[in-house]
Amino acid sequence: MFQVLLYTQWKWSRLIVTVGTVAGFALPIVSVQGAAGAARNPLETGALLAAVQSWGALYPVLAAALGLLVAIATWAPDHRGRHVYALALPLPRWRYVLLRFGAGLSLLAAPALAVLAGALLATASATMPPGIQGYPVSLAVRFALAVVVGYAVFFAVSSGTQRTAGAILGVIGLLIIVHIIGGVAGVDLDVVGRLQGIVLGWPGPLGIFSGRWMLLDV
Amino acid sequence: MTHAVAIQHLHYRAGKRFAIPDLTLTVPTGAIYGFLGPNGSGKTTTIRLMLGMLRPAGGTITVLGHGVPNDVPRALARIGYVPEQPHVDPTLTIDETMRFHAAFFSTWDWPWARQLAATFALDGGQPFGRLSKGEKGKLLMLLALAQRPELLVLDEPTEGLDPVVRRDLLAAIIEYVSQREATVFISSHLIHELERFCDWVAVMDDGRLAAEVPMERFKNSVKRLRIANPPRTPGDTPFVLLARESTNGRAETWIVRDWAPAMAAYFERTGSSLDDIIDLDLEEAFVEVLRAFRARNR
Repeated sequence: MFQVLLYTQWKWSRLIVTVGTVAGFALPIVSVQGAAGAARNPLETGALLAAVQSWGALYPVLAAALGLLVAIATWAPDHRGRHVYALALPLPRWRYVLLRFGAGLSLLAAPALAVLAGALLATASATMPPGIQGYPVSLAVRFALAVVVGYAVFFAVSSGTQRTAGAILGVIGLLIIVHIIGGVAGVDLDVVGRLQGIVLGWPGPLGIFSGRWMLLDV
Repeated sequence: MTHAVAIQHLHYRAGKRFAIPDLTLTVPTGAIYGFLGPNGSGKTTTIRLMLGMLRPAGGTITVLGHGVPNDVPRALARIGYVPEQPHVDPTLTIDETMRFHAAFFSTWDWPWARQLAATFALDGGQPFGRLSKGEKGKLLMLLALAQRPELLVLDEPTEGLDPVVRRDLLAAIIEYVSQREATVFISSHLIHELERFCDWVAVMDDGRLAAEVPMERFKNSVKRLRIANPPRTPGDTPFVLLARESTNGRAETWIVRDWAPAMAAYFERTGSSLDDIIDLDLEEAFVEVLRAFRARNR
């Protein structure tokens, strides 16, 4: 069962996974090479870290994009068939959902492993100033966790009906409107800021995406 | 008699406009059960309720001995289903679709699947999305049959197909039923098609069951009677009077159900005379049953 689901999911999302894997492998290498160009001697360590940090912003973006696109690709054929085929299969719905989730997650292991390989290669081949160390494994683990979180969130959202997606977007829109109206009225509601703090701050559900993503650090 | 499907006092509501208020129907094991009804009468909704795709508001559904929706996976393992609209992923080829489907059904019969693919002239490398309507219909039937189901649930399986494809599909169903003694639940509004091979017929209208009888009885018991000097009020009739139309002042045409020749005595008793008894074909019978049902429920 899992094998055929994995195969169909590969067929639907192979382009996304392939591009994500190539990007995941290239990103650490390119970031270290780009940062090395900015720091030719030990005195420029600050410039090196700043460059690594600026490249680091791309890791959560890549993780979220992969999670989003693979989640959409996972559910798209079922949505097209109005879930009739899936509902006529002789297995409990929760099991079907878990199988689909697991298949998508298995495919996302490729870009996560690519980040690990790229990060190991980049740190091994880079000449680092004294006091600077490479953190390829922790960066790759963090990337993998971010991919899992992003995929899980978008998998849950896209598993619902258009009405569900509309309700979620409606709530977000309402919060933004309340925030704007509060700003115009001079009331310091800062709804969006507070929500951002709850969602993206530690231990918020999307906290893994925020903060510094450093392949090289002190 | 055991029942492949037993629905008792089923209640379901979809929005404000459509409801199944209280549906009771039984499909005998081994029967080919034709489920007739106009578009929007609730045939597909009833099928989806039977297969656990929709959750009823009340009543009980038992399919092959399994309660639905609670025990639906075990029931679905023994059911072959052909939906009204193609539901298969259009990007998968025929071979991939078969492999995918086979993985979920332990009873899947590969040799027979290949034989059916050859009979239906299906090219395994073709993506589902590029198949003609007839080829899609054939593949869906192949998927349903090759899993060797005890119950085939077919929702308008031949809708929009040309006569040759229709004949191929119906032949495949008949062959399967004769081999396996499976039960078939087939919904359609192509009445002549069902007339040839169903042994039970149910008529659905606006979420209600207008009739559920063996096909022979349905065909033979609905008659058009020409009556001279009919009684003003029919009173207690031994048959079900579906409709009466006045042809002129002294003659009427009655459409009756559950007719038997011995019932002619009723007209002698009421001082009228039965001039002619005309057989109706299934389509005429269906229309009259539906018309009478609507008149009663107006």
